[in-house]
Amino acid sequence: MLALRDLRVSYGAIEVVHGISLDVAAGECVALIGANGAGKSSTLKAICGLVPVGSGSVQFEGRDITNASGHAIVRAGITMCPEGRQVFPQMSVIQNLRMGAYTRTDKDQDADLVRMMDMFPILRERQNQAAGKLSGGEQEMLAIARALMARPRICLFDEPSLGLAPKIVASVFETLAQIKAMGMTILLVEQNSMMALNLADRAYLFEAGKIVMQGPAKELKSHPDVMRAYLGH
Amino acid sequence: MLIEILQQTINGLAIGGVYVLIALGLTTVFGILGIAHFAHGSVSMFGGYLTFFLVTSQGLPLIAAIPIALVVGFLLGLLIEIVAYRPVRNANHINAFIVALGLTMMVEGINLQLFGHEQVVIPTGLSKVFRLGGITVPELRIYVIIAAIVLVAAMMLFVEKTKTGQAIRAVAENRDAAILMGVNVKSIPLIVFGISTSLGVAAGIMVGALFAIAPGIGEGFVVKGFAVLILGGLGSFPGAILGGTVLGITESIAAGFISSAYKDVIAFVVMILVLLIRPQGLLGRSP
Repeated sequence: MLALRDLRVSYGAIEVVHGISLDVAAGECVALIGANGAGKSSTLKAICGLVPVGSGSVQFEGRDITNASGHAIVRAGITMCPEGRQVFPQMSVIQNLRMGAYTRTDKDQDADLVRMMDMFPILRERQNQAAGKLSGGEQEMLAIARALMARPRICLFDEPSLGLAPKIVASVFETLAQIKAMGMTILLVEQNSMMALNLADRAYLFEAGKIVMQGPAKELKSHPDVMRAYLGH
Repeated sequence: MLIEILQQTINGLAIGGVYVLIALGLTTVFGILGIAHFAHGSVSMFGGYLTFFLVTSQGLPLIAAIPIALVVGFLLGLLIEIVAYRPVRNANHINAFIVALGLTMMVEGINLQLFGHEQVVIPTGLSKVFRLGGITVPELRIYVIIAAIVLVAAMMLFVEKTKTGQAIRAVAENRDAAILMGVNVKSIPLIVFGISTSLGVAAGIMVGALFAIAPGIGEGFVVKGFAVLILGGLGSFPGAILGGTVLGITESIAAGFISSAYKDVIAFVVMILVLLIRPQGLLGRSP
């Protein structure tokens, strides 16, 4: 469904992703794990058109979307739930959710809004509050719900657990598992490798801008190098 | 005394409406692009001049001239965004600042070339005066106040209730997140400039009908517009509305009770006092 080939990403003169290739099949949950600064988030941003692709290609459902503009990529069916939540702070919870459906013109948007608030009751309670007033965990739920409002064919999650209390992290991952069970194709970037590997079907391990290991999540989880470096065993 | 205050308040509402319309344009542009669009006042007055020209030289009825001027204003806004500000969008902010100053001089020069240096008053034919108790209200002022309220309400509805309006807010609050929602961040500034300039032209027509348009008037109004933004709180729509109304009424009361020569001084003194107590402006969010 999504295929990256030999992707390189630079910020100015500094290259941070050195030619990676990865695939996500429909219905799959794929995790990108690795240390801070390994190039995982930059890879997601390049897919979404937030940072330019230096060389290589991004293919989505057979179409080449390398360096397409950000809004065109959303319309193609790729939505990202960004790192640090990035809600619209002065807009109400409802307005944030409706922004998620910005590209949609169908009549089911109101029904989806109700569905999201069923899934996240806290958002119903706070529907008229400014999103910036919510707690970190609530904002994460809002960001996830907002991403789902687009009805994407693939949803990218960038560090959904970053900066959240352990108890909230657990509930974020429960939510992701729920979304996965709904059949959503997921590409997840996460520093919490244990949580990510428990959730994902397959995983890629990033180190200094390269993929150094890949395989089924179960295999990576029991690989001695991964265990020592990333899982704290 | 009370009647005089009421009288000046109504006078102030009309001019306050003009300030609000100008400030709404400025605050929307500032919110999206971070640009202090100084040329806004001169462009607004161009709209006033154009209406005057359509009515007096072309013999168009005012009711036809106004929509033409508003549409021309919209198109002019698009042109300004594409030609003047788009090329410097990713440059240092000082570049946009210099473009804004240059554009102001250019538009002032164009106004002078096209319409001359004589002051002009848009003939409206609305000369009825209503008397209520001891208050006299010229019919024109009532129409100006109603028109301002309708335009401000339309703008609020547009921003709060339409997808495009919400996208404008979203880009102002978080540009990258707006891209992730599928907003085309290239087309949003165009829409913003078109609408803002249209609102400015409406204000220019009101100034031309209520008072007079002359070279330099536009610059005065843009300074007041920014004063309103700071008074109400940068980036706040309700702040711009409240700020403009407060400034208009203060000026009017100052003119009525002290001297019209001091009205600008009093207005800015009020602004300074407000900022001493509330540095973020009347409705601004605290830093």
